[in-house]
Amino acid sequence: MKLKKVISTLLLAAMVLGIVACGKKGDDKGANTNNAEKQTETNDNKEANTEDSDAKEEEKLDYTFGLNTTFHSDEPITYSMMYSDHEVYPYKEDWRLWSAITERSNVSFDLNLIARADYDDKKSLLINAGEASYIIPKTYDESAFVTGGAVLPVSDWVQYMPNYMNFVETYHMEDDLKTIVKSDGKYYKLPGMWEAPAGTGSEYTLVVRKDIFDAAGVDVTALEKDWNWDDFYNALLKVQQYVGGGVIWSDRWKGDALLNIVGQTYDIPAGWAAGDGMQYDPASDSWYFAETSEDYKAFVTLMSKFIKSGIMDSETFTQEDTVAENKFYTGETLLLGSNRSMLQTYKDKMNETLGEGKYELYSIVIPKAKNNYQIANSRLENGIMIASKALDELGEDGLIKMLRFIDWLWYSDEGKDLVRWGVEGETYTKENGVYKLNPEITYVGLNPGAPKALNVDYGFGNGVFMYGGTQEHAASMLSDDLKEFFERLNSYRDIKPLNPTVVFDEDQQEEMNLIKTPLIDYVKSATLKFITGQADIEKDWDKYVANCEANNSQRYVDMYNETYNSQK
Amino acid sequence: MKESRGYKIFKVFNTILMIIVVLLTLYPFLYLVAQSFSSEAAIYSGKVTFFPVDFNIDTYKSIIRQGDFIGYYKNTILYAISGTIISLFGTAILAYPLSKPYLRLNKFFTPFVIFTMYFGGGLIPNFVLVNALGLRNTIWAMLIPGAISTYFVLLMKAFFANLPQELEEAAAIDGMGTFGIFTKIVLPLSKPIMSTMVLFYASGLWGNWFTPFIYFDKKELWPVALYLRQIIYGAQSTNELSAGFEETAGIAASVKSASMVLMALPIICVYPFIQKYFVQGMMLGSVKG
Repeated sequence: MKLKKVISTLLLAAMVLGIVACGKKGDDKGANTNNAEKQTETNDNKEANTEDSDAKEEEKLDYTFGLNTTFHSDEPITYSMMYSDHEVYPYKEDWRLWSAITERSNVSFDLNLIARADYDDKKSLLINAGEASYIIPKTYDESAFVTGGAVLPVSDWVQYMPNYMNFVETYHMEDDLKTIVKSDGKYYKLPGMWEAPAGTGSEYTLVVRKDIFDAAGVDVTALEKDWNWDDFYNALLKVQQYVGGGVIWSDRWKGDALLNIVGQTYDIPAGWAAGDGMQYDPASDSWYFAETSEDYKAFVTLMSKFIKSGIMDSETFTQEDTVAENKFYTGETLLLGSNRSMLQTYKDKMNETLGEGKYELYSIVIPKAKNNYQIANSRLENGIMIASKALDELGEDGLIKMLRFIDWLWYSDEGKDLVRWGVEGETYTKENGVYKLNPEITYVGLNPGAPKALNVDYGFGNGVFMYGGTQEHAASMLSDDLKEFFERLNSYRDIKPLNPTVVFDEDQQEEMNLIKTPLIDYVKSATLKFITGQADIEKDWDKYVANCEANNSQRYVDMYNETYNSQK
Repeated sequence: MKESRGYKIFKVFNTILMIIVVLLTLYPFLYLVAQSFSSEAAIYSGKVTFFPVDFNIDTYKSIIRQGDFIGYYKNTILYAISGTIISLFGTAILAYPLSKPYLRLNKFFTPFVIFTMYFGGGLIPNFVLVNALGLRNTIWAMLIPGAISTYFVLLMKAFFANLPQELEEAAAIDGMGTFGIFTKIVLPLSKPIMSTMVLFYASGLWGNWFTPFIYFDKKELWPVALYLRQIIYGAQSTNELSAGFEETAGIAASVKSASMVLMALPIICVYPFIQKYFVQGMMLGSVKG
């Protein structure tokens, strides 16, 4: 926290300097963008031409590229890149990953190594100091860098990336891409794109102790197909009685993941996804403030029932994750929030605490409330920003060459196989579309107990490179129980359609932030009070709604709808 | 004088209270040490409190066998020792002339130095400067930019000002130059303040992760503090909502504890021996100044 404060204060000071210094740069930037647009036009014309002219153009290039073609530069070339160093598989210079990339493409990286914990802070320092690397991967939120002109509007350049464009067209990513467009109509990062939302790994769920649920006469496998939250509540009561009362649920992530999951089923943005509390209503084609709706009331009433009945403890909303985990590992609690990476961790730990075979974990399909939707609906993941410096230093042709390299490594099937599985024959084999890791190599739930790890010892299966892919790609790396979970999820629940996008300009955004911050802070604290019983949803409801309105919720809704209608 | 009954009761309560405070302060560290010698299973089932459960030293062995940690440790030792020498030297030669009231330009220089206590250039300008000077990714980035602490300069200045002027005059009469007086008369008389400075500077450098985080892009230069930060905060600080699935795996708790113990050990070993200077030095500087 302290670091963030220090950095933000200092950034503020730097911004003042930046305003003075950037005047000229800004103009340059405009020129670049115009160039890019011109380039786009000419390129469109080119695309309309026959294949012959494309072929001719390729002859002049000092590299090969293309859809399903390996990128290869004639001359060895090095690109600078920021690298988010993961503590579990710390960077090694002699990883097979690096040599494999260079062997195929003749490209090597000049890496700026940054510990994952502080990646975002250092990234923003380097970008603001003008020392950014060309390639800036693993970017979740690019908004802060857009107005400064330090990163390229990549949407102007994607037409040079055949694999990227192919994926966009094949899986109809256009609407998803609209969600990251900024007020100038462009987007500033190359996102990871998945064929289906489940692939992004953002599907959070609850994992239950199936052995004990079964013993209590609760068959989750049958129930989950169509259960709602009341069924779930009754099931938990039954289990609670079976184990002789007491708390059976003490959740992790300070309840944020849980509130998000439950909120989504009620169409309420809550927990992690609270955002600005706005929800789209397709019936009236307008936006409303969901936190004062009847759905919200139902949502907090349900949550408070879990606490009141003693099923869940209120520590859920305050405790550290390790505390929640330890309660679960020792068998004190019987269900816990989970995602696709946690499941394996839970198993590893419980094999040590309870012993293998003495427990059974089961990821449940979340109960329904208002809709029949899965939790995740975004098909985009974090992505890659390109520093504007790359255009200045490499020139247009050089930049396009680099983008085509990125296109190959991050977006082609060959690149995806390489960064995930490694080198065929060395680290894995593929038969009839089924990937098989070599028996002496392990990776998140695959080949448990093998002496070498795909990420630690080889650098493959690396989060800096692995974004996006087809369902086949997503499923190929899952352990059997996860595969089975996603199959259930996809067959029992639908994918929620994306909300339409509303893009605000800077001024609007500023005003809205001023409203949003206190408003959502208030909503969050009130939500916890309602849930933990410090406030009563019936008695205090009117006061709560009045307070939200006093915090300008209506003004926020109006701004949203005005902008939305003007952009339709 | 006989102690009154009330005073005796007060003393008993006082002692009990102090023991409680000591235990509370000590417990986290004991817990850490206990964890570092325990098995993973015992830690996760919450069995470890004061004493190690399933005692083993495998964690330490594996950390030491792993080359990286040793490398970071060497860097930390290098930075702490060379940094302390540079800092001490810089602080002393700045504080000494400032302590002489007859040097007229001090009226200009003293506020100049004090100014830096309240106003800084900011992170990014500093970064740009260090980068432009070619210090980034060299060990000098760790040693030079923060070498002299204004606060310590003032502390030392106050101490020097209180040394008897007559000693220096006597030395001057015997034909000693300014530099000779400084090294042969003033410094030997300043051992208490010097040891305090050594402790401050060394412990500051030992635990400094921020400077290397800002200026080092290569892991060969990392000190152990930055490595510790990486393994401890790694899993906590990522955006869990959008983290990819391979991202949330954690480092074993025993490895974290053992690394922390190894890092804290040298400072803990040295502290009792220089602790008296620690308090003394502060008094020497501030009260009389």
